Amino acid sequence: MIDILNITIGRFLRSLPILLLAIIVARVLNSYLSRGLVENLRKRRLRETLSVVALAGLVTPGPLACYLPLLRVLRKTGFPLSLIVAFITAQTLVGPMRLFLEVAYFGAWFYAYRVVISFIIAISIGAIYHLLERRISF
Amino acid sequence: MVCQTRSNLTERIKEISANSLEDMKTILPIFFVAVFVSTLLELYVPEEIIFTLLGKNLLLAIPLATVAGIILPIPRYATYPIAYALFDKGAGVGVIFSLISGEVILGSLERDVMEFKFFGWKSYVLRLGLCTAFVIMGGFLIEILA
Repeated sequence: MIDILNITIGRFLRSLPILLLAIIVARVLNSYLSRGLVENLRKRRLRETLSVVALAGLVTPGPLACYLPLLRVLRKTGFPLSLIVAFITAQTLVGPMRLFLEVAYFGAWFYAYRVVISFIIAISIGAIYHLLERRISF
Repeated sequence: MVCQTRSNLTERIKEISANSLEDMKTILPIFFVAVFVSTLLELYVPEEIIFTLLGKNLLLAIPLATVAGIILPIPRYATYPIAYALFDKGAGVGVIFSLISGEVILGSLERDVMEFKFFGWKSYVLRLGLCTAFVIMGGFLIEILA
């Protein structure tokens, strides 16, 4: 048991600098990110915005719960649900904070693949919502 | 003007520090437990079990990893040490992708409640279903690409 604890503490301490850096960088980004970016997207066409919104979701740091009240307001003002869902999906699947941990554990290529695939997933789900929005009342 | 800018910057630094400390208080203990679990996995789970469940048969392993990521109470960021232990034991990259991506499909309770309340149950359930299906497909895709 003591051996397991020793190994655990050693590994924890090795990961600690990366984890602390990740937490601070995410909070710095969160503090400087303009919420106006999301609001400006309303003015563009849906097809164009789907990829922009997914991209915005990928680079948006911090917990999604912080952005949900804003997304709710946008929804109430007529922002399509497909865009909101694309943002939510991309934001939850990937985040800047995960970059440090994923690169440290699995390498940069894994993170790159995950970002690309998550981007495709977010756009696809947004597109499905766009098709369904015409038929189903959410 | 300079004073105001400096004051704003000080305020912002204070806010960032407070929020970062808050995050550290939540994440660090969880991360320690996750590292402990991954060490236990590495030392005590026989490689044969990992290969059987998450290794050879990708058709079974990738959906299983996605579902495991969704239903297991693995906290945010704590998946990585566990996923790495599995990776080290020979689990495929698609399985690791599915586990990590599956973990975020269901978020924290406050996030899920807010999403459910703000956008309706239909949207919430549909998004969860679609996310699960797409993460499984993504797992197969990364397995082919990598």
